[in-house]
Amino acid sequence: MMSLKPRNVDFTETWAHLKETVAGVVGLRAVERSVWNTRFSDVYALCVAHPEPLADKLYDETRNFLEEHVQGLLQRVRGTVALDNNDHNDGLLTRYVTAWREYSQGVAYLNSLYSYLNLQHVKRQKVSDAEIIYGSSATVTCPEHDARQLEVGELGLEIWERVLVKPLTSALTGRIVNALAAARESPPDPAHASILREAIHSTVQVRAFRVRAPLQLYQQLVLEPYLTAAAAAHAKLAAELLASGDVAHYTKHALAGLDREISLGARFLDSSSAEAVRGCYERAAVAAHLPALHATVHQLMKDAAADLPSASERRVDLRRMYTLLRPLGANALRPLVDAAHAQAAADGQALLALSHNKDEAHTHFVNAMLSLHGKYSKLFGEVFGGAQAFVGALDKACSAVVNSRLPSDGSARAPELLARYCDALLRKRAGGDADVDDKLAAAIVVFKYVDDKDVFQKYYARALARRLIHQLSASMEQEEAMINRLKAACGYEFTNKLHRMFTDVAVSADLNAKFQQHLRDNNLATSTGFFIQVLQAGAWPLGGAMAPLAPPQQLERPARLFEAFYRASFNGRRLAWLHHLCTGDLRTRYTPRLYHISATTPQCALLLSFETVDVWNARELRDSLQLAGDAWHRHLRPLLDAGLLIATGDVGSETEDDTSADATIALNLAFSCKRTKVRLTCANAPNHPGGSSSSNSGTAAEPGETAAHCDDDRKMYLQAAIVRIMKQRKVLRHTELIQEVVSQARGSFAPSVAMIKKCIEALIDKQYLERAPAALDTYSYLA
Amino acid sequence: MSGEDCDPMDRGENDGQKPDKMFTLKKWNAVAMWSWDVECDTCAICRVQVMDACLRCQGESKKDSYGKQDCVVVWGECNHSFHFCCMSLWVKQNNRCPLCQQEWSIQRMGK
Ligand SMILES: [Zn+2]
Ligand SMILES: [Zn+2]
Ligand SMILES: [Zn+2]
Repeated sequence: MMSLKPRNVDFTETWAHLKETVAGVVGLRAVERSVWNTRFSDVYALCVAHPEPLADKLYDETRNFLEEHVQGLLQRVRGTVALDNNDHNDGLLTRYVTAWREYSQGVAYLNSLYSYLNLQHVKRQKVSDAEIIYGSSATVTCPEHDARQLEVGELGLEIWERVLVKPLTSALTGRIVNALAAARESPPDPAHASILREAIHSTVQVRAFRVRAPLQLYQQLVLEPYLTAAAAAHAKLAAELLASGDVAHYTKHALAGLDREISLGARFLDSSSAEAVRGCYERAAVAAHLPALHATVHQLMKDAAADLPSASERRVDLRRMYTLLRPLGANALRPLVDAAHAQAAADGQALLALSHNKDEAHTHFVNAMLSLHGKYSKLFGEVFGGAQAFVGALDKACSAVVNSRLPSDGSARAPELLARYCDALLRKRAGGDADVDDKLAAAIVVFKYVDDKDVFQKYYARALARRLIHQLSASMEQEEAMINRLKAACGYEFTNKLHRMFTDVAVSADLNAKFQQHLRDNNLATSTGFFIQVLQAGAWPLGGAMAPLAPPQQLERPARLFEAFYRASFNGRRLAWLHHLCTGDLRTRYTPRLYHISATTPQCALLLSFETVDVWNARELRDSLQLAGDAWHRHLRPLLDAGLLIATGDVGSETEDDTSADATIALNLAFSCKRTKVRLTCANAPNHPGGSSSSNSGTAAEPGETAAHCDDDRKMYLQAAIVRIMKQRKVLRHTELIQEVVSQARGSFAPSVAMIKKCIEALIDKQYLERAPAALDTYSYLA
Repeated sequence: MSGEDCDPMDRGENDGQKPDKMFTLKKWNAVAMWSWDVECDTCAICRVQVMDACLRCQGESKKDSYGKQDCVVVWGECNHSFHFCCMSLWVKQNNRCPLCQQEWSIQRMGK
């Protein structure tokens, strides 16, 4: 039974017994349980000895013992080999690890034998970790300098490092570095591998208890010398790879080398070194050769994108190249990104330049862009894992190709071609098209790259107007879905007018129903069927003056009735007839076979002029219908071409407005035609892009006119944006305002700073804004 | 489209003699355009066409006003016209027509 009472203890005698057991524990020899317990009590007794505690003395003696013991181990480890030959197979590493296994275990046991000393004596003296790290006026010492503050187990490790490792440092380093180099070439057998790993790991464990620089020994003894040697080996490997083959050969083996190096590090080195190992390889084997690698990327990119069987191998090479370059940062990757951009842009220009039917230019354009986008999205996704830098490069390339300008007149054709593409899809067609929705959705992909979205909007609006007025749309659902797609891409303002046009069509349907009800209610039946579309001015791109026309008497009555009805239904509105857009359905009564003729209002008036007169003097007819020069020809020509009317003498032409005084026009009483339905159109007037037209070329309006028209709209847009921004911000500096406006407009077009400045001036004139009185270059909002 | 789609009942009605009427007008598909009945297309207050929403309404770009003309026109007794929105703000400061300086009073509202 051990006594807890402090008493006199004979140090020499007690230590003699204790020392024997300590030697046994450290040497991993069996110690009986009872002996262990007795010695445990001895440690206690010494620590609490009376009159004077003997803990310090015990600690000193223990240290002396351990130092002596480790000296002995050092001799055992060193053996008789020549230390400086650095042969990793000379047995030194094996002996070192054997001694380390025994000693580190033994010291751990010893630490528990000395539990009381550790707990009561050392801990009390030991400064807290926080004090070590942050410093304290109360302590000037630190564990590195005062071994007494270490627990016995820690003391044992400190002695190992100082007494055994230090003299062997260069011998151990040399052998470990050599063994690792050998392991890189061919994996060692399990026994040797485990010796090597434990030897390396011992340099971590021996200082693991340290608060400061726990990895210092590992870094000095293993990691740093290893990395120095590895860098030289990697550089040599890379130079050989580049010398002995092409870039494909290099990337393949360099990447394999990287994998090998990473797994070598993971297998033998401390886990904290993974980054350093990788970085060392990348610097020595890749970064050092960047210029040589960069020189190859353009060709590699070209080959990977080629339409050849070998391209798939090149894509693998390219992927390897990317994997090697990516960790080196944006600058190392830049030439690869540039090459990706250049390749996609060049390919895009080549696709656009492929020969095609001029009538199908819109389909060719959109299909070329979609195939470019599809091809490179897939390629970059596969090779670069969809990395943002390459997505950006593709976007830049697509944008450059889409907005490329014709060398002839410097105009960008994308807005017009894309609008035509949509128009063709949205029109009624024989047979229909099953995947129209998909194609329209795909058109948005191209649309997003268009710079001058507002110009596109103009073309699109004209085509939409034509489809709506002439009921040429295949489906109103498709029309609305497309407007909503554009809205999703560009916002409400962009599609505002399109929505207004669309709404007019719905409102008109309702209006017709009400009008018919009104006629029935008031017994105002008309003999002629009547359908009207009432469009709001400003929303529809229907330029041009309204042609004056004395309508045929048959049309007078429905027109008057509707006007009266409309005036009664609304307030403050003015109604104007768009005769060039009105069409009449006539039936012939003078031909053996009946023909249904669909014609413009002026054409109807022309035909109906022959009810009572067989032959008209051309000038008189023109004047009686008040058809001005240009309109006269545009409406008359199709009637002559169809053979419904016959001209005698010179009635002039669109280009030569000269109707001779004696020219006459007669109704062709012998008219005959293969079809019973005859649809007459009128030739396109330059300022009437909304005019009825049978050809698809209607969207091809004058580019100059569209540009000028756009300029006004851009100013309107910018003013609205400025008001919106200023209303929210109240006071804003000039440069900030410009920036915000540019970023808001980006969805539709890229505004010039000069135009924004003009708009700001205009708003100051209109007293929406003022220059802030106190501050320079600052505007404030006037509510 | 083929030539065979004519109504058989229509056939043979005419026998080559000139009929009393040469044509029958079956149907008229009319297109008209409405605009506010104003002397000046532009609102003198915001300098925007009265057919378009005023500058403030455009700035707010209301998501629910799909083409709906809720920014209507108002006429004064002097027959000058403006956006109703613009005029409502204007009269808070100065109850006179900005164009003729007459006392402002509403003659009618657009609908
Ligand atoms: Zn206004
Ligand atoms: Zn308004
Ligand atoms: Zn007035």
